[in-house]
Amino acid sequence: MSRQPTSILLPRDADLIQVTGLHKTYPGGQEVLKGVDLAFRPGEFVAILGLSGAGKSTFLRCLNRLVEPTSGRILVPGMVVDRPADAVVDIVRVSGPELQRWRRRVGMVFQQFNLAKRLSVIDNVLSGSLGYAHPMLSSLRMFSDQEQARALRNLDRVGLLPLAYQRADAISGGQQQRVAIARALMQCPAMILGDEPVASLDPKLSLSILELMRNICREDNITVLVCLHVLELAKRYADRVIGFAGGQVVFDGPPDKLDDLSIRRIYQAKTEELRGFSV
Amino acid sequence: MRGATDQYLDLPRPPRSTGKRLVVTLSVLAVLAWAFLGTQFNPAELVAGLPKMADMAKQSWPPDWGRLFDPADYHLPEELTWQQTLLPGPLTQDQQDIRDAWWSNTWPQTILGGTIQTIQMAIAGTALAALFSFPLGFLAARNTSPHPSVYFGVKVVVNVLRSIPDFAVGLVLISAIGLGPFTGVSALAFATTTVLVKLFSEAIENIDQGVVEAIQATGANRFQVYSFAVVPQVMADFISFVIYRFEANIRAATVLGLIGAGGIGLLMNADFRTFQYQQAAVSVLVLIVLVLIVDFASARLRRMVQ
Repeated sequence: MSRQPTSILLPRDADLIQVTGLHKTYPGGQEVLKGVDLAFRPGEFVAILGLSGAGKSTFLRCLNRLVEPTSGRILVPGMVVDRPADAVVDIVRVSGPELQRWRRRVGMVFQQFNLAKRLSVIDNVLSGSLGYAHPMLSSLRMFSDQEQARALRNLDRVGLLPLAYQRADAISGGQQQRVAIARALMQCPAMILGDEPVASLDPKLSLSILELMRNICREDNITVLVCLHVLELAKRYADRVIGFAGGQVVFDGPPDKLDDLSIRRIYQAKTEELRGFSV
Repeated sequence: MRGATDQYLDLPRPPRSTGKRLVVTLSVLAVLAWAFLGTQFNPAELVAGLPKMADMAKQSWPPDWGRLFDPADYHLPEELTWQQTLLPGPLTQDQQDIRDAWWSNTWPQTILGGTIQTIQMAIAGTALAALFSFPLGFLAARNTSPHPSVYFGVKVVVNVLRSIPDFAVGLVLISAIGLGPFTGVSALAFATTTVLVKLFSEAIENIDQGVVEAIQATGANRFQVYSFAVVPQVMADFISFVIYRFEANIRAATVLGLIGAGGIGLLMNADFRTFQYQQAAVSVLVLIVLVLIVDFASARLRRMVQ
């Protein structure tokens, strides 16, 4: 019946995910990703920088196949999708239940939070366990006691236990993003993707949300990939920064290696133009 | 004197296209003339008919309120006490037959019985339509349909069927399954389903796709996505559409009664045909009160669900 999800224990020194030659051309001919090669380790906190349209968002969505890559490979260890530990699975080629098994291991948080506004906070958190839950009962919004308890624990973790039975549209933006993070935690994820998760929040809330995400990354050994606009936030929180420009990776390294030249390459601008933007 | 803003009047303006205006005006006039001529518009006839109308109004006054309030007009069976007929209770087989005959034959032909039957027709027809249109709405919405061919198929069929007026459906069904309230319910269910599928599928197409994406990203299957991302966003609209259609169906059920599908419309028709205007007036007034009450209740209910 209901399968109780557990976290996967991945060796820290092996890659969680290997992306090679990833291309994406949208119908209409717009080439957004022009061959991306990247690999991520378990427990890495990675910030992705770049202008609007540089391909950051498309890259994240290719990883959980909300966007279909045109070509390329996304390799993950078999155990993440319940295959034998020594198997290697290409996410670009899976479909149906196997794709759902991958997606349930990849949490995602969005700029606009994307909660179901008319549902309660706890129901929104519970929706994170849909990939594990009984397909019929969960469609009727019925979850086992263990799942409900797990949802409450995850809500407590993001500091919102008292708001569990409020409607999701009755709480503030920062709180909604915390609910979205609790929803992602319900997935027992191997990786969390953040698509501009703090772009709709004020600076103080942005710090607290990124703080929360980094703590989760450290404590649960979850790979976190976030697209950010603000360079300073990337420098402050990330273990590793990746710069996208024109659909290609133009920088990949620790934040202290980010010099004027690489910043200019990421933002395709002269240093003077960026002065005053806390670069 | 020139005001402070008058200088703006001196700015160059686009030339007026008098030619275009003339063409538009003439075309509108031509269409209007065409429509009025085609329908043999004749105000004189209306004026000439006024005395007849006054006469009819005089004949229907005062309304024959006895039809509504006089127990004799309900033709309760003489073999039973009124309690035995109207209230549930133990009866012999013969008594039971008499009671059943009264309920199924006499009661629907009384004003109160006919009115209640009209309400029952509207409720049953709307409920059936809600039941059918809920799943069909998902199939007919671009973003939830399992396949483009299903979406196009359902949409085209429903659009074609919706173009059939409900009383035409009623006429077809009367010749197929005969006179009676069940025919009315079937016709209402059919016509209402086609309307609700359109409204509901459009509501589904207008939802915030972000939530759908978020639930898909958790590894949810199709039905889980419906339940968590689509239904919460459209349920209030759906209930509101159903209540609104119920309101419209009270009126539609009356019209269906006129063509023989039971309820108060049937009584009204019979009274008009036999020139019993004082009795017909009672049906008309009862219907007006009923529609007012349902309009009011429906507006309140719809505000509550939003």
